[in-house]
Amino acid sequence: MTAPPPAGNLPADEHFGPDDAETWHRVHPVSPMVKGWIGIIAVILVFGRGIFEDLIAGRGMPQYGPGGDTVPLWIIAGGLILVILLFALGFFLSWYFTRYQVTDQHVRVNSGIVFRQHRQARLDRVQAIDVVQPLLARLFSLAELKFEVADSGSSAVRLSYLRLSTAQQLRATILARASGAEPDPEHPDQVSEAPEQPVLALSGGRIVGATLLSGTTIFVALAVIAVAVVAGAVDEPFALGAVLAGAVPILFAVAAAYWTTFSNSYNFRAATSPDGIRLRYGLLDTRAQTVPPGRVQAVGIVQSPLWRLKGWYKMQVNVAGYGVDTQASGSRTTLLPAGTSSEVMQMLALVLPDPGTEDPFDVFGAALGGRDQHFGFTTTPRRGRILDLLSWRRNGFTATATALICRSGWLWRAAQVVPHERTQSLALHQGPLTRRLRLADVVLHSTPGPVTARVVHADLDVARQLFEEQADRAAQARRVSAPEHWLAPRRDDGESTESRRESGPESSPEAVPETPQAAGPAPEGPNERDKDLPPREDHNGQ
Amino acid sequence: MRSGTAREPVDPVDVQWSRVSEKLITLRVVGALIGFVIALLVFSVPVVLMLSDVWPGFPAWLAWALPAVVVVVSVWSLLLIPRQVRAIGYAERHEDLLIRQGLFFQRVMVVPYGRMQYVDISVGPIERALGLASLKLHTASPSTNATLVGLPSAEAARLREQLSSLGEAKLAGL
Repeated sequence: MTAPPPAGNLPADEHFGPDDAETWHRVHPVSPMVKGWIGIIAVILVFGRGIFEDLIAGRGMPQYGPGGDTVPLWIIAGGLILVILLFALGFFLSWYFTRYQVTDQHVRVNSGIVFRQHRQARLDRVQAIDVVQPLLARLFSLAELKFEVADSGSSAVRLSYLRLSTAQQLRATILARASGAEPDPEHPDQVSEAPEQPVLALSGGRIVGATLLSGTTIFVALAVIAVAVVAGAVDEPFALGAVLAGAVPILFAVAAAYWTTFSNSYNFRAATSPDGIRLRYGLLDTRAQTVPPGRVQAVGIVQSPLWRLKGWYKMQVNVAGYGVDTQASGSRTTLLPAGTSSEVMQMLALVLPDPGTEDPFDVFGAALGGRDQHFGFTTTPRRGRILDLLSWRRNGFTATATALICRSGWLWRAAQVVPHERTQSLALHQGPLTRRLRLADVVLHSTPGPVTARVVHADLDVARQLFEEQADRAAQARRVSAPEHWLAPRRDDGESTESRRESGPESSPEAVPETPQAAGPAPEGPNERDKDLPPREDHNGQ
Repeated sequence: MRSGTAREPVDPVDVQWSRVSEKLITLRVVGALIGFVIALLVFSVPVVLMLSDVWPGFPAWLAWALPAVVVVVSVWSLLLIPRQVRAIGYAERHEDLLIRQGLFFQRVMVVPYGRMQYVDISVGPIERALGLASLKLHTASPSTNATLVGLPSAEAARLREQLSSLGEAKLAGL
């Protein structure tokens, strides 16, 4: 391609060919300000408040020294200008030194003024891509692109901020190259977003209802009852007042919890595309997540007691790049904030395209709300009910041809689905009590995330059999598991390929030459084990 | 009394466990004794204060009970150490590595070779004196807490090489 001037800004309609080694791009110039606005406001507050208060109080200009001399106006103005200049310089330098490029196989970001950081990540290692728009960035029509690889820490690559259209184009480019899809032979430099089909959208009413009926409400109800009991027992108005005063910070926390739940699930929409699952949501800050096929490691479905009234469920996922997601209060790992059982089935179909069973609705329906041994479930034997007085008929598991399903919980219903080829390791646990009752637990280890799959209190022989069989099933599934390049032409049969860029996922098979990855020199280094390690190279102090 | 090498209920049927070195008992006893001495010193403070009339009002039964409890608990855990060490075992199978541990809370874990991301060997000062090493397997899951302590150094090195080559041969994605 013709080399654009180094570090030129991308026009929105530029052709996205692979960058060569010398081509670098910069993020949008406004970015540092959007990132640093809290700092600016803090400085204005700290320095401005004193002056402002003095002016309001009619004391005129601030004074210093014992003599009460007035500070000359020019010093204040000069100081202000100096602070603004310093900020501007910092912003400019941080912008100037941040550069990125997306080549055929890597995305690279250089940043840092004093401590330089060079980071590169392999495109085919992508676990998820998010396009995030915090409120202020939305005002400027900017967006942050987050590129996640499997290391559960912070994002491997964060490009903040780009023009929204640039970010979306870049996402399409990265996904196209990571998927191994064939570029359009006539316009190899042009990449369009993979076509997507909407799957479901949650109404505002649903989100409000789900928020109001959430576990927070149960907590509030219990707290109100406790306060009422205390108030009934204690006559003294002073003590009651103390209790109520102590409740104020808790009320704030509760309100914040409600608000977070609501704003993070607002306008939730899910779609499917050849590039994977697309999730979009958010009230003030909006986020669009793309999880390519085969990147979901485990699915958890939970139902809090009040949601049973409406038959709603919440779905969470383990995705290697997302980790436990403490910063966004769990919204990134939420696959469905509040859905009916049929919506749960729809989302499950996206995550697990092949359920591996003849009647998926019955089996997964039994996982959601069933109990006893229907539809192939094996539950805790009767002698184990002393350990699970209420839930022993529900605790159970079943294995389909493609996934293991565990369910548990009587009041707080929970179920987990782990595809066989995503099982990392397995453990069989037995404590003193379960040993006496000839029971055992089987734990499936998954990548970091909110979902922990555990078969509780199964019969010992059943658990041991499950342990052995599951190890075998996982080994079998690993051998046939889908390739990392999810749209790449299969090299072994060579003829059944999908070219999504032209006619979508259901295109007719056509012979296409091998992928660029396969055609070029061997992309792997001599050390094959590097493949699974986080593809990250940090060089500080360069 | 059940011997540590007997087959436990959670063990798979046809597995022959390799056991870790008996020197691990020495290592753990030394560690436990150090902890025991420190705990005894701390919990004997009330007795000393009481007998030296610094704090005569301290209830005598409590002052004596504290170190007594420490002694009982320590002796009990010291006696358990040999059985705990003999309860640790591992087995290399065709597709995966089995690791077992625990007496009261038993655990058998299977780590597929294709899932291993890397293998760590660590050696502490006392371990080095005894010729032992610890081996830790890492998968993409943090809950895979697969550590083998008390391996003879040569066996640890052999296992690491073996696991690395098997891991490469059977490598699977995430």
